[in-house]
Amino acid sequence: MADLAEVQRLIEEALPGATVEVSDQTGTADHLLAVVSAPQFEGLSRIDQHRLVKSAVRERMDDGSIHALSVKTSVP
Amino acid sequence: MADPAIREQVEQAIRDNEVLLFMKGTPDAPRCGFSMRVVGVLGDYNVEYGAIDVLPALEPLREVTGEISDWRTFPQLYVNGELLGGCDIIEEMHESGELAELLGADQPQSAGAPAPQPAEETPVTQSPPLQIENN
Repeated sequence: MADLAEVQRLIEEALPGATVEVSDQTGTADHLLAVVSAPQFEGLSRIDQHRLVKSAVRERMDDGSIHALSVKTSVP
Repeated sequence: MADPAIREQVEQAIRDNEVLLFMKGTPDAPRCGFSMRVVGVLGDYNVEYGAIDVLPALEPLREVTGEISDWRTFPQLYVNGELLGGCDIIEEMHESGELAELLGADQPQSAGAPAPQPAEETPVTQSPPLQIENN
């Protein structure tokens, strides 16, 4: 099962200055929602913004601790 | 390392279909909630689309789409050869009108409605299963 705090930290480390909220969608800590607002997203397409978030947590997705990740991004 | 034969089939499918959805399950029987939601969104537009069930070859297909599009999760929707994204992005584009524009269709009334509408009869080309050797 994913550690929400770790997921938040991974995204914050990949995107310094971002506001990151990670929540558990189903109570089993494997369907997560990450809401991220980051200056690094400026000028990027939605899909490129999502790629940045997903790549930050790639290992946790590959090892199965995150089964599904919903992502919402915005520019501050 | 992505299997080159599978990669070629995937690239061919992307070339052959103006709208192509890689999903878990089929449009009539989606096997994951996110795939079901994308099918529901597409059902609001009167467009044909191809659908590929990734479940028979999930990891090989993740490798292929990871190489082609730097995107390893499903569902994922391609329009005119370009990856738009997964469920979150598709739903946002559906509500904003961008998806209608990209599909060359009218903006549906139901975009932004709180409850999913039952899917209309949408012409769907079920792409033939990828020929994949069981290694």
